[in-house]
Amino acid sequence: MSPLILRRLAAFAVIVNGLFPAIWILFTSLKTERELMQTPITWFPSAPTIDNYVHAFHDQPLARFVFNSVLVALTSTALTIFIATLAAYAIARLQIGFRNTALSIIIATSTFPLVTLLVPLFETMRAIGILNSYAALILPYTVLSLPVCTLVLVSFFESIPADLENAAMVDGCTRLGALWKILVPLAAPGMFTAGILAFVNSWDEFLLALSFNSVPALRTLPVGITLYQGEFSFPWPIISAALVVGIVPVAVLIILFQQRVLSGLTAGGVKG
Amino acid sequence: MPVTRSWRDPTEATLAKWLLAPAFLLLGLIVVYPVGRLLVTSVYELSLTSGLPAKFVGLDNFAMMLDDPVFWTALWNTLLIVVVTVPGSMLAGLALALVANMPFRIRWPVRLALLIPWALPLAFVGTIAAWFFQSEYGVVNDVLRHVRDHKIIWFNSGTLSMMAVCLTIIWKASSFVALILLAGLQTIPAEMYEAAEMDGAGRLRQFWSVTLPLLRPSIVVAMIFRTITALQTFDIPATMTRGGPGNATTTLAMYIHQTTVDFLDLGYGSTLAVAMFVISMAVSVVYLKQIRTNT
Repeated sequence: MSPLILRRLAAFAVIVNGLFPAIWILFTSLKTERELMQTPITWFPSAPTIDNYVHAFHDQPLARFVFNSVLVALTSTALTIFIATLAAYAIARLQIGFRNTALSIIIATSTFPLVTLLVPLFETMRAIGILNSYAALILPYTVLSLPVCTLVLVSFFESIPADLENAAMVDGCTRLGALWKILVPLAAPGMFTAGILAFVNSWDEFLLALSFNSVPALRTLPVGITLYQGEFSFPWPIISAALVVGIVPVAVLIILFQQRVLSGLTAGGVKG
Repeated sequence: MPVTRSWRDPTEATLAKWLLAPAFLLLGLIVVYPVGRLLVTSVYELSLTSGLPAKFVGLDNFAMMLDDPVFWTALWNTLLIVVVTVPGSMLAGLALALVANMPFRIRWPVRLALLIPWALPLAFVGTIAAWFFQSEYGVVNDVLRHVRDHKIIWFNSGTLSMMAVCLTIIWKASSFVALILLAGLQTIPAEMYEAAEMDGAGRLRQFWSVTLPLLRPSIVVAMIFRTITALQTFDIPATMTRGGPGNATTTLAMYIHQTTVDFLDLGYGSTLAVAMFVISMAVSVVYLKQIRTNT
């Protein structure tokens, strides 16, 4: 076999490995319960149906789960980007003695195990009565993505020449004015990249969402998905339909902004 | 005459403090304060179900932990997951990255195949895996049917459940490793390979003498990330096996969650969390030392 064919086979194997589970779930979501309980199992749905999607939205408040996930993820992402932009600007641009220390502290917090924070946060939130609220998730999620977003933004700011701001400041602009009018517009792609990483982090989080919000109306998607199964019943076609509903938004985001996600992971990973 | 500066135009040091303040305030509130609080609670008896006020018990909780067989099982399972899935996902991730770095004309399908598993929520992956490994109608047994006659009942046996959990974690984590390593591979200049080829180095030799040494920094970063996340394993076993059968796939994080949220035993939950904290800090320190001495 020629090397080209070998390489194509390898690429094909990688594609199957990465996409097969999602595609299999899509197929499962289109099968009837009866078709699912056949042996040997069928691969393609013989009579595709959307009944499972109807059930998925009917049996659990799936639309509500999606709304909660979007709300929590968007709010925490906006907060993270705002706070990380301010911090990254100070670290990347200002002549201060403690810039390396500041960056190290922010990065070091990302190595703290989330589950150790679970116990005291649970206790504190219970005491001040914000368990079962959006804030109970938005605040920790903002912190969760702060280190990686700060890293991405620092490396982005450093790639923009300081001359532009200096020129603006010579023309009478203040530092904050230069940040707002010159740097932020130029850094918009970097902020967007960091934003996608923060959004995916929040969208995926399970442990805190499971622990802090026990009211069904406040559940996010990863927790909501687990509510379809009973003690001994596993309505797989309906669970699959709910999974597809949860996968599609992130898959669209990834397909649209592939290059941005890759560059964000590079900046966050290589430096971190 | 001293220059009075308006608040609109502060000195750089003052401005820096104001700009960093929100980040540090939030980190203090959500990370530093809780860790301190954790250390305090761990030496108290504090159960919300008993309704009794917190009572100082010294190191009693820690003595209880050392006598608790579930703690040892959960710790053992967690370490097993680290030892199996960190090298497993590093090797699988390296293979994926090497393929993704090949010079194809159309690159997006392979990249998408790395990005989608990376972005899938762990809880989704655990749920999907439970369906994949289902003994009667799962696709894993359907494929295995062609190589062996009788079906494997994965979730009845502790060992097989652990195998299924580890395989699932390796699948999920290898995409992240591959993305980090791919970024590293792309920074290796092509001239390095040309020079090696001129010296008569074959493909394998190039891999050992050029690729691996230059990829080292990325490998270290991915390995640190992976070890820290593997120590905290929760989502996949929680959705896939719920720790079962028995406690065969219960991790330390799951036990902490159960003790705190389900049993509302905050004192003992804190003690377990302190153990987790100490272990992961120890791992971080060992890694940091490795990086310092080797770079």
